[in-house]
Amino acid sequence: MAVLSQASTLSTRKPQNSRPFIARLMTDYGQECVIIAAILLLFVAVGLYNPRFLSTSNLTTIFSGNAYIAVAAIGMSMVIITGHIDVSVGALIGVLATISGTLAVSGYPVWVAWGAPILLGMAVNFIVGWLVAFARIPSIVVTLGMMSILRGGLISITGGTWISGLPKAFMIAQWKPFGLPFPIIAMVVLTLLAAWWMRNFPFGRSLYAVGGNPEAAKATGISSERRVLAVFVIHGAIAGIATILFATQLQVIQSTVPPNLELTVITAAVIGGVSILGGSGTVIGSTLAAILFAAIGSALIFVNVSAYWLRAVIGGLILITVLADMIRRRPKK
Amino acid sequence: MRRSMMTTLLALALSAGTSHAAPVWTGADDQPTSPLACDGAPAAAAPVAYNGGTPAKAPERKGKTIKVVDVPKLVGIGYFNSTSQGVKEAAKELGTVDAKTDGSTKANIDDQITLIDNYITSGVDGILFSANDPVAIAPVLKKALAAGINVVGYDADAEPDARQWFVNPATPNGVAKSLIDTLAKEIGEDGSFAIVTSTFTTPNQARWIAEMSAYQAKCYPKMTWLETVEAQEDNILSFNQANTLINKYGSDMKGIIGMTSVATPAAADAVTQAGQCGKVSVVGLATPNPMKPYIKDGCVKSAILWSTVDLGYAAMQALRASADGTLKPGDKTFKAGRLGELQIINGSQILLGSPAVFTKDNVDTFDF
Amino acid sequence: MSLRTLLRHETILALVAVVLLVALAFQSAQFFTGANLLNQGRLMTEVGLVAIIMTFVIITGGIDLSVGSILGLTAILTGVFWQNLGLPLMAAAGLAIAVGTFCGFVNGFVITRFGVPPLIATLATLALYRGLAEGISQARSVRGYPDWFYVLGQGNILGVPTQLWILIAFAILASVLLAATRIGRSIYAIGANEVAAFFSGLPVNRTKIAVYTASGFAAALAGVIFVSRVSTTRSDMGTGLELDAITAVVLGGTSIYGGRGSVIGTLIGLVVIQSLKNGLSLAGIKAEGTAVLIGLMLIGAILMTTAFNKRRA
Repeated sequence: MAVLSQASTLSTRKPQNSRPFIARLMTDYGQECVIIAAILLLFVAVGLYNPRFLSTSNLTTIFSGNAYIAVAAIGMSMVIITGHIDVSVGALIGVLATISGTLAVSGYPVWVAWGAPILLGMAVNFIVGWLVAFARIPSIVVTLGMMSILRGGLISITGGTWISGLPKAFMIAQWKPFGLPFPIIAMVVLTLLAAWWMRNFPFGRSLYAVGGNPEAAKATGISSERRVLAVFVIHGAIAGIATILFATQLQVIQSTVPPNLELTVITAAVIGGVSILGGSGTVIGSTLAAILFAAIGSALIFVNVSAYWLRAVIGGLILITVLADMIRRRPKK
Repeated sequence: MRRSMMTTLLALALSAGTSHAAPVWTGADDQPTSPLACDGAPAAAAPVAYNGGTPAKAPERKGKTIKVVDVPKLVGIGYFNSTSQGVKEAAKELGTVDAKTDGSTKANIDDQITLIDNYITSGVDGILFSANDPVAIAPVLKKALAAGINVVGYDADAEPDARQWFVNPATPNGVAKSLIDTLAKEIGEDGSFAIVTSTFTTPNQARWIAEMSAYQAKCYPKMTWLETVEAQEDNILSFNQANTLINKYGSDMKGIIGMTSVATPAAADAVTQAGQCGKVSVVGLATPNPMKPYIKDGCVKSAILWSTVDLGYAAMQALRASADGTLKPGDKTFKAGRLGELQIINGSQILLGSPAVFTKDNVDTFDF
Repeated sequence: MSLRTLLRHETILALVAVVLLVALAFQSAQFFTGANLLNQGRLMTEVGLVAIIMTFVIITGGIDLSVGSILGLTAILTGVFWQNLGLPLMAAAGLAIAVGTFCGFVNGFVITRFGVPPLIATLATLALYRGLAEGISQARSVRGYPDWFYVLGQGNILGVPTQLWILIAFAILASVLLAATRIGRSIYAIGANEVAAFFSGLPVNRTKIAVYTASGFAAALAGVIFVSRVSTTRSDMGTGLELDAITAVVLGGTSIYGGRGSVIGTLIGLVVIQSLKNGLSLAGIKAEGTAVLIGLMLIGAILMTTAFNKRRA
């Protein structure tokens, strides 16, 4: 993978003020535009077929249904932009959810139950980040190992018990300030915050440099080790927030990890335009991609696609989106 | 840019195009069905000769302490956590059994086979299993029988000749009748409903759905089976799928049936959060603890399940009895400790009894 | 230099493997018996076949996440071709393997022709192939194969499990191909520096397509063996296989960045993982405890090698 990045000429996105707004939008946010177009197209097509698809309640389901995946994909996007990957995030969310739920039912104040997954997420990913950045072990190896450790450890410790009887105050994902479900608010605020940070702050922007060309980054005085470590720790904190959204949605917490959660999160990040080669992409794209997945899932039920073919359709759509993106990028080279 | 939009458009058109041809999908398997009589008259069961397997050259185990391993489909879900409790309870009561539960964290046929294979090598005296696949698990279980190990299944069966006994939590047509009758009572005999299940490849669920479909067609022909959706063993996905069903059908859908202990509470939560309590009924299979909040606030009237603790308990009792030789081919009943006499049907299946119905009045007496 | 470090990792790992085998033999009397070891060989054949070719893929700097799905699709097709299309079982299995191989070719084509990074391309086909398996099977299993078919997955030849012979032949062929032929050298060259390899006239794209096609073939072959071993087909067969295979390859010292690695290393990695799973289980440790230990060992082994190399460099 790293070999390819030497050949790649993908540039980081710098503001180019000399060109018209639309053209700038297209070059800076091309993939995001494609996904928005796909979402709108889906809304129109399925909405015409069955207007209930566009009912407020269904739109709420679509936007909030994958909110925790979108949030987790923000951190994942940052990790991938710096040229790394994390396959342990699904297991991490499973472990953190169990810890958070256990604290909540044991009578700790809810802020402890909410704070613990964030802090523990940071702690676990500090270890991962250190092993990747300073011990120089490839991230896929560290996170493969970590996934196995977390998955096994979860069952060893909990014995597989489900957590039920969660206190009402703990259920933050069921809050509806101003009539908007909290997961949607959290997803939008975090995405915009992260996008703004990565575009306008030196540290945020340096992530692109680290992922795009670590050698050059080093030459210009950017310590890629410390940035990679920092990104993993941030990713851990965001995974903690995703955990809270995940664990407080329903009144039961399973002590198993949702199957293939890590793949869904990674797919959202890369379909959202984050280059797996590192160095380009935005978190807005990954959030849009997570919404697109939720919309496709909902649409397939609305248009009565035989459930047997559901996964084939989703896989086909992913492949087409990826190919379209590669074709779109080609003339720029 | 334009080309990419075109391809996306094409894909969407394609996916929308295929949809019209698709018939209503129920998620049933392709085995023959045998719906029970609508009024609950018991079907005359033809006696079947013993069709289980026999361990070869099993050593004399009567009265000796035996080592037993319990291999469920997966560990980490409430269902098998409670069957494991039952196994331990029986082992403690019997006093001469050293039992432990070991399973994969994923419901994966290969992991399960490998685990059982390892325990055969390590020399256990008995194996309890809940099969991820009835056929795939058969070769390794036959190997266990050939090695003189006592093999008893529970929850999900293997091919009969690959094990000695199977503790059947409930007959598939019995499950179907309970679910559909309960639903009909709540939504009326002309209501429409949808199903949330785990995956198409889970044999138990596919079997029950097939029986439900047959029973509904026979006894409640005016009911409408809207569709069946898949939601893995994932509670957030189950919640989203149930929400989407509510959004899609609105007041046209009167009920949701949850086919797993994951799907049912998630569907109940979806109905609660959508403010549809009383308008959309939820019935289904579920362990009582996760269902308590919904049953207590009246959103769900009842949930159905056999006691999973008793299921594990009966399986352990059956294993000990067959190791001792007190449970042998040809028996018509089996005395399973505190559960009393259990009926033996279909040659080699020990029937646990009728499923329990959890309601507002009794749900607090259960804890699993 | 690179060859020496390579040997280094493999020697360390081989030593670890020997220590492990001895320790496990002391833990459980049943571990170090011929019957158990041969049986373990039977159980690891499918992952082994896939991991051997995965070594090639990773050496070129790529990755193939779709192998588990290809295995599942091939398994389903074997059953469907035989039962629904009425082909002779031999032809059905052959045709299914051909389709699986073609799936691998599609991966290679998408990666080279469109320049899609392997991780993304195979992530997409992972979902697509699994989806096809589900759609084609309609959740039905195909069972009841003739007895001769089970020889492949459940029988023995000269006292050794049939599929273990296939794995051994495959391993020898692959080792020779990688270590002693022009193709092997091209694979290393592409992984070390793709641009340089291209400009020195190596057929970069053709080699990569061939490697992914071979990966599809290995997964497809493993699929047929798997069906024969468990005597039924299911669309969820092989789920998660890709991670098991990658773990073995990486543990075996193949660099995830490409350019470095060997089939021998992968084989040792496989043996270490399989004997850990088996030996710990025999010693009474539960599956989840074993998972934790395998994770720790994967990180530990690579950490040791990396630390070792740093000191020497």
